[in-house]
Amino acid sequence: MDLFTFPLMLAAFGVLVGVASGLIGVGGGIFLVPYLVVLAGLSQHSAQATSLLVVLPTAAVASWSLVRRGVTDVRTPLRIGAVGVAGSVVGTLLALVLPGQALRIIFAVLMCIVGIRLLRDAVRRRAVAEPERGGELDEAPAVAPGPRA
Amino acid sequence: MSSARGAVIGLTGGLFSGLLGIGGGTVMVPLLVLWAGCEQRVAHAMSLVAIIPISAAAVLVYGGAGEVDPAAAVALSLGAVFGARLGASLLTRAPERVLKAAFGVFMLVAAALIAVDA
Repeated sequence: MDLFTFPLMLAAFGVLVGVASGLIGVGGGIFLVPYLVVLAGLSQHSAQATSLLVVLPTAAVASWSLVRRGVTDVRTPLRIGAVGVAGSVVGTLLALVLPGQALRIIFAVLMCIVGIRLLRDAVRRRAVAEPERGGELDEAPAVAPGPRA
Repeated sequence: MSSARGAVIGLTGGLFSGLLGIGGGTVMVPLLVLWAGCEQRVAHAMSLVAIIPISAAAVLVYGGAGEVDPAAAVALSLGAVFGARLGASLLTRAPERVLKAAFGVFMLVAAALIAVDA
């Protein structure tokens, strides 16, 4: 790929990641890192570092737009994020001593359970009703059987 | 939401972010919705704001490693910033059910990506 089309391809992928990020409320690193490793040929470390630099402005711009529209306030989530910084430091240190592969697989299974539960909720809740929290709690064990561990 | 609950959600999101190298949003959004009882839309917006300090701290740590590909970061960011405005405006208007379904699909895709990485 030549020097001109490569940045264009990156920017186009950036647009997709940005839309997904703003809509879904995540940073987008989960898409950026594999893309940078597999298609742009960066090393895992380099891809993670580069991805973080993209996540920051993406989250900032989306946040600015959402706060301005009154979807959320600033203080509550910023406080959550500030505690998150402490958690992230602990997590980075723990990553050095805990088995990363096993953690990833456990986490992937948990994500599948949550994903299926949200999809089920989306299908069941026809009208945009108040979350029926009591009902959700009662149903929770029904989702428990862990798929492919 | 009580500040204790918010603190637990932030701590858990940050912990997994550091532990697995994933963004905190993947953890924080489900906790905000299923545990703190937030609307899906509000949870997505809160997660984006909470990601700012978490990723800023991570940039400070990783930035020292000097492994950033600056050209790729700039090209991706230009696109992503443009896309983020569009995504945020979609988030403001989309029905709750659609957001729930979109996040559910995202979780399954993300689970696959994480499992492949393992």
